This record gives sequence, structure tokens and C-alpha cells, in this order.
Amino acid sequence: MKKNFLEKFMAIVFFISATASIISVILICVFMFTGGIPALREIGLFNFIFGRKWSPSNVPPSFGIFPMILGSIYVTLGAIIIGVPIGVLTAIFLSKFCPRKIYRYIKPAVNLMAGIPSIVYGFFGMVVLVPFISNVFGGNGNSILTASILLGIMILPTIIGLSESAINSVQKSYYEGAIALGASHETAVMFTVVPAAKSGILASIVLGIGRAIGETMAVVMVAGNQARMPNGILRGIRTLTANIVMEMGYAADLHREALIATGVVLFVFILLINGIFLILKRRMN
Amino acid sequence: MKRILTIGIILILGASILGGCGANNSTDSGKGFNLDKEIVVISREEGSGTRGAFVEITGIEAKDELGNTVDRTYEEAIVYNGTNQVLTAVAGNEYAIGYVSTGSLNETVRALKIDGVEPTTENIKNGSYKIARPFNIATKGNLTEITQDFIDFIMSKEGQEIVSEDFIAVDDNAAPYAGSKPSGKIIIAGSTSVTPVMEKLREAYLEINPEAEIEIHSTGSSAGMQAVINGTADIGMASRDLKDSEKADLDYMAIAIDGIAVINNPANTIDNLSLEDVTKIFIGEITRWSHIK
Repeated sequence: MKKNFLEKFMAIVFFISATASIISVILICVFMFTGGIPALREIGLFNFIFGRKWSPSNVPPSFGIFPMILGSIYVTLGAIIIGVPIGVLTAIFLSKFCPRKIYRYIKPAVNLMAGIPSIVYGFFGMVVLVPFISNVFGGNGNSILTASILLGIMILPTIIGLSESAINSVQKSYYEGAIALGASHETAVMFTVVPAAKSGILASIVLGIGRAIGETMAVVMVAGNQARMPNGILRGIRTLTANIVMEMGYAADLHREALIATGVVLFVFILLINGIFLILKRRMN
Repeated sequence: MKRILTIGIILILGASILGGCGANNSTDSGKGFNLDKEIVVISREEGSGTRGAFVEITGIEAKDELGNTVDRTYEEAIVYNGTNQVLTAVAGNEYAIGYVSTGSLNETVRALKIDGVEPTTENIKNGSYKIARPFNIATKGNLTEITQDFIDFIMSKEGQEIVSEDFIAVDDNAAPYAGSKPSGKIIIAGSTSVTPVMEKLREAYLEINPEAEIEIHSTGSSAGMQAVINGTADIGMASRDLKDSEKADLDYMAIAIDGIAVINNPANTIDNLSLEDVTKIFIGEITRWSHIK
């Protein structure tokens, strides 16, 4: 009897723990939408999303986040172009080519990268990358290119970790079959094992996109944060996340609500990305 | 065949990375300040009190033909949301210009003279340095005993010492506080920029006079003045001069002055700008250091 009660009780405790994350997601959803929708209604959905001018302290103010939406997309694309080839090739190397001795050092280094706080990446970008880009390519250094490189570095651990486990989980028979047919080690890996891990690698890229689009502190410190339409890879840009974090401190009234609505747009982006990730993951299994 | 293709792609990637690095090395002049370079304008984010005061004093904020108030800050200006980030950015870029509160200046940047006047405490106090704003408090009609006592405290030696930790005190020779420590309640409303120093003052005052109860609402300068006019607050805080309409209804006094320093990199050869040039730089009419007369 007593044992039975304890088991039931513990089952409830476990159940509550399991629902905690779902409840927080629901609460965040509710907060975002109740906070953002009044502003969307007042500004107008079309004016908000496709408006090209963001100047909340003008009289009358204008709240258009189209430059920031483009900013987020450009910077994320740049991060993918830089981070994905490096990340996927590193994963293939770690999984299939890396000698044990080197692996012992590379793997923890990659894991450590994931643990570095983003503000530290941002500071690195501000004092190292910005002057470097400015000297090599011209411009003032706070640019789409700088933010892309920094984000490309930041999404590496996500891409390497997931891609590596996707490649590792490909059945050994694929590799052995290729070798048996006379393929070299390199050919077997590149043309049988890696294609078989394709959906896992794609999933890692999608998760990397999610990380890049949601990154805030590091981007604020290197992107320049100009709230105008992007006009060149060596010119600055403001992302959705930067817009929220920069102005939240002093914003009031409609300005504040518009920032929450910016969060709603970002949230929808993240939902889309995670939806794609789930579909890919299902296909992988 | 496919293997050759893969190797080829890798080689092209590698070459493009290396090529990209080497291509424009000639623009890196290295040593020596080049006046022909573009000015890197650094601003604060919309809504920041420092930006609000700066654009107002320098005339960056202006009325357009339709009578709308427009902040004309150069749209290529880099925007940072903190004083420290502005300082780091200006310290790290020889061609940058930015602005920060004089209280947060450090030796990594140079505070420019405006019309030949340095932003020293003395010059700000006597009004010869133009980019400064008073922190005002405003009251209406006869004051309650507790309100008067708290204002006496702010203007006393103790109060002004607290003010001068972050800003410039208006009265260096104030007499020590010698109030009657009455009990009662004060409601203070207004500027978000003044609120932090007001909270420090409250803390210190409550230590001396535990009988008092002080509520502070951080609502913005205009809302604070309106609250005092309506009688919903006893003291209003404003991080700007009072408007004529407000002056008609309220008694006011400055409790502190906050100067805004225009800063550039110490490597820059320019150490003096006219107020007009500052405005032109920040609205993007002057884009090169050599265009400054």
C-alpha cells in the first residue's frame, strides 16, 4: 500500500517536471501574442512588416521592420555560407578520417566553443574582426560580412555535433558494401556514407539557422545596427533581435509594444525553422 | 571523375578565401592618420536619454515642412545601446566620432572642444560649453513640510555630493542638511534619466529620516511635469529645460547638470569642432574629416 502510494506520487512529480517546459512555451506564446497584437493592430500588419522606415521617436513615429527582417535573413544566409562548409567538412573529418590522438583535442575544443557566452564572441568580434574587416576590405568594419563571419563561427558547434552523430549513425554495411565493391576509403565516405546521412546533416544546418537568427548580443556588437534598408555587404545592418534588445530599455507605450511585436515576428520565424527541423528529423528516422 | 570534381571545388574555395584576404591590402595604410577617410559616425539608440538630449541641443532633431518632428541622425551611423560600447568603438576606430555623458569619459578617447571650449565641469557650469542639459525638479504652489524638507536635502551638501558621483552638482558650497525630519509621503514622477540619481537621494534621505515615505515613478520628463500640474505628483523630474507652458504653472530648479561630450579617437588630428560641424557630421552632410573647416 505504502509503496503503491509512493510510486503514484513520484509519477506525478515526474509528470509535472515533464510538463514544465511545455507550460513555459505556452506561457511565452500567450505573452508574445497578447503583448504584440495590439501594436500590430494599431500600426497595421502590412505597414509593420513591409514598412521601410523605423523612427519611433519622430512625431508622428513610423514603425517599419522590413529592414530588420532583411537584416536577419542576410546575416543568417551569410553565416550559413561560411559555417556550413566548414562545419560539415569538420564533422566528416572527425567521424571518418581523424586519428584518435588528434580527436582527443579537437572534439573537446568544439564542445568548448558551444559553451562560450555569446557576449564573449561579440567582444572578440568587436576588437578583432571589426578592425580586420575594415583594414582588409575597407568600410568601417561593422558590416553584414563581419556579422556573418562571427555567426558562422558561432554555429559551428551545432553543425559539427549533429552532423557527426548523423554520420556515425549510418549503418556500417553502407561503408563495407562500398569498400567491397572496390571503392577507396575516401570514395566510400564521400559518396555512400555522407549522402546516407543527408537528412541528419540538413537538420543540423536548420538548427544552425535557428541559432544564427536568434543570436543577439554578439550581433549587436559587430553589425552596426543601422535601421535602414541593407545596402551592401560592407555596410552595417540591424537584425530583429538587435532591434528588440537595443531599444527595450527606454521604450514606452506604442514603441514598446512595437518591439514586442518584433519579437512575435521573430517567434514566427523560429517556429517555421523548428517545424522544418521536425520534418527533417522524422524523415531521418 | 567525381573525386577530381570534389578536389577542384575544395581548391576553388580555398583559393577564394586566400584571394579575398589578399585582394585589397593596399587600402590598409597602417600608420598615420588620413583625413580623407570617411567619418565613422556612432550614435545611441532611439529612446535613449543621451540621444534625445544630444539631438535636441545640436539641432539634429528638427521640424520638417509638415511640422513633424524628425530625428535626422545620419542613417549610416552605427548604433550602440550603451555608453561603454560607444567608448570601446571610438577607442578602437581612428576615424570614429561619438557622444557620451561627460561623467563616463575615460582616457581611451578624446573629448572634443566645441567652438574651442573644453567640456570641463567648470565650463559646463558657467554655460560656455553648449552641449549640456540640466536635471530639473519642478513643484507647484505651496509645498508640504516633507516635500520642502526633501528638496532642502537634495540641495544640501550631502545631497549635492550624491549628485556629483554621476553628474555635475549645481552648488558646490551648499550648507549641510539641517532639516526638521518631518513624517509624510512624497510622490515623485518624471524623467527616466533623473530617476537613478533620485533613487540614490531617496535612499540617503530615508536613512536620515525614516519617518518619510517616497514613491518614485519613472514616466518620462513630459509626463512628470504634467503629473505635477495635475496635482498627482508632488515633485516632477525633467532631464531638459522646462517648456514655456510648463514654466507658467510650475516652480522649478536645477539639481544637477549633465554634459554630453563629443568624442573621437586620440589618433585623430582634429580636437576642436564647431557646434554647426557637429550637427552636420551627425546628419551626414559632412562625411570626411578633411571637409571640416
